[in-house]
Amino acid sequence: MSGLRSFVARRLLLGALQTVAVVLLVFALTEALPGDAAVALAGDQPDPARIEAIREAMDLDRPAHERLADWAAGLLHGDFGTSLASGRPVGRYISDGLGPTLLLAALTVVLLVPIGFGLGVLAARHAGRLIDRLVSSVTLAVYAIPEFALGVLLVTVLALQLGWLPPTAVGYGTDLLAHPAVLVLPVLVLLSRPVCSLARLVRAGMVDALAAPYTVHARRYGVAGIRVRYAHALPGALAPAAQQLARTIDWLLCGVIVVEALYVIPGLGTVLLNAVAERDVPVVQGLAVVFGVLTVVLNLGADLVAHRFAPRAGVAA
Amino acid sequence: MRFTGRFALGVAVIGVPLVLALLGPLFAGDPGPRATSFTLGDGHWLGTDFVGRDVWQQVLHGGRPVVVTALAATALAYAVALPLGLLSALTHRRWLEELLMRPLDVLLAVPSLLLILLVASVFEPGAVGLALLVAAVNIPDAARIVRAAAAEAAARPAVEALRMQGETWWRMAVGYVGRATLRTLAADAGVRLTGVLYLVATAAFLGVGVAPDAADWAVMVDRNRIGLAVQPWAVVVPALLIIALTTGSNLLFDAALDQRGTAASSHRSTDKERRP
Repeated sequence: MSGLRSFVARRLLLGALQTVAVVLLVFALTEALPGDAAVALAGDQPDPARIEAIREAMDLDRPAHERLADWAAGLLHGDFGTSLASGRPVGRYISDGLGPTLLLAALTVVLLVPIGFGLGVLAARHAGRLIDRLVSSVTLAVYAIPEFALGVLLVTVLALQLGWLPPTAVGYGTDLLAHPAVLVLPVLVLLSRPVCSLARLVRAGMVDALAAPYTVHARRYGVAGIRVRYAHALPGALAPAAQQLARTIDWLLCGVIVVEALYVIPGLGTVLLNAVAERDVPVVQGLAVVFGVLTVVLNLGADLVAHRFAPRAGVAA
Repeated sequence: MRFTGRFALGVAVIGVPLVLALLGPLFAGDPGPRATSFTLGDGHWLGTDFVGRDVWQQVLHGGRPVVVTALAATALAYAVALPLGLLSALTHRRWLEELLMRPLDVLLAVPSLLLILLVASVFEPGAVGLALLVAAVNIPDAARIVRAAAAEAAARPAVEALRMQGETWWRMAVGYVGRATLRTLAADAGVRLTGVLYLVATAAFLGVGVAPDAADWAVMVDRNRIGLAVQPWAVVVPALLIIALTTGSNLLFDAALDQRGTAASSHRSTDKERRP
């Protein structure tokens, strides 16, 4: 039992270190600017008033460690600073963009789990036969396709040629749930890569588990096939799959940014891309901290779940 | 028999975009005068793009940046990960191993595209900058795999024998352990190249590391999207080429991995799925 507890403690420590690293890394970004950060950020419009405004807004006259302390203390209270471009608080940007992004992510995860597991179990049940080869090759092929390339092709065929679905979310506002047709293409594109990797992982785990001595033994005792499959073999395939679900967060994040740009959805990804284009550093930093900490926490949770299912599988840390 | 079939399929799928990317610029010829934006026909058999350039010519030029950046980024990632991983696997000083590997564990937490966008918001990375960034994102994971493979090889009796014979550290590290891990690393390099291609193309689509009117398949998809309803070829052709490139490389390396069928590579094939 002490082994389990020390693993949890070590993993929690690593998570805390990763959180600190994310905050430091994001802060270090402005320090890495060559020369005067205010001049560099003013970019195309280097008039003295604007440079002065940026210097003022970011407190660039004060020493770096004081600014870091202030910024980090603000983060703890949910204060992310103010935007350089508009002067609005960064927290407002985040709360505005959160709705559509959460909706996309939630829909994707809700659909991802049954589809991924379903395909994986299906392929494993028919391992080596046509249906398995079909599922395996299609998932292998689709797994590598960048979302933007798949996305534009789906728009071209399903939206423009066939006219079944709207090509973008332009004109539908932020209440996307009221227009489910708008969500079909984005969610489909977001699902493409994670479903493939999850299905392949579940298939591999199930094939191993179904060939393992304990399932053979269960069958010899006359336990029904369906029970062997779902009550005995599937849990064995769960540990790696739980970790994959967390890794998917990284992909979902990449995917969400691309998909929001592609379908013009006003979520966090769009906010981030706009801020990057405008070099609005406080907004970029605020979003980066939110995304980074979210990734750390979800990976932490997944490692703990995976450890619970398979205590001997040496997961990170 | 099935494996060779899959191998051939991979080669066939990746063949077209790869040949276009590597040899295309040689056959592109003169750009010619600019025509009207988003037209079809008129001597342009794939039409014109958003500023009136010939789409076929852009396609011929546009593959090279994607492929070259991806190859350079993969090579760069290994140039750093290889010494890091080998050193931490072979050293007997526990603190050195921790010092080399622990910071990478911490870095693994940052989502790759987020890191690239973060840097892009402050600097304006060119093609070289993009290659460096993508390489940096891949170093933590690559170093972990090198370390794992090298640690396994370093624990073999052969290394003990070399040590007792008084061979130099260099001979053991590079001559034996390095060579013994080559197979695992070749498999990993294939998988990694697919991921790098994905990341390079996606970053270029989002405008990182490329000029806004660059001849680059990913940039073409982005910039010509506004004319999708009028002139779909300017988007569909580069998008299909990118899909063929990434899918083909994944199919090819997966088939190559299966053909080898070693214990090490079968271990890797489950591991790669888990990689972010």
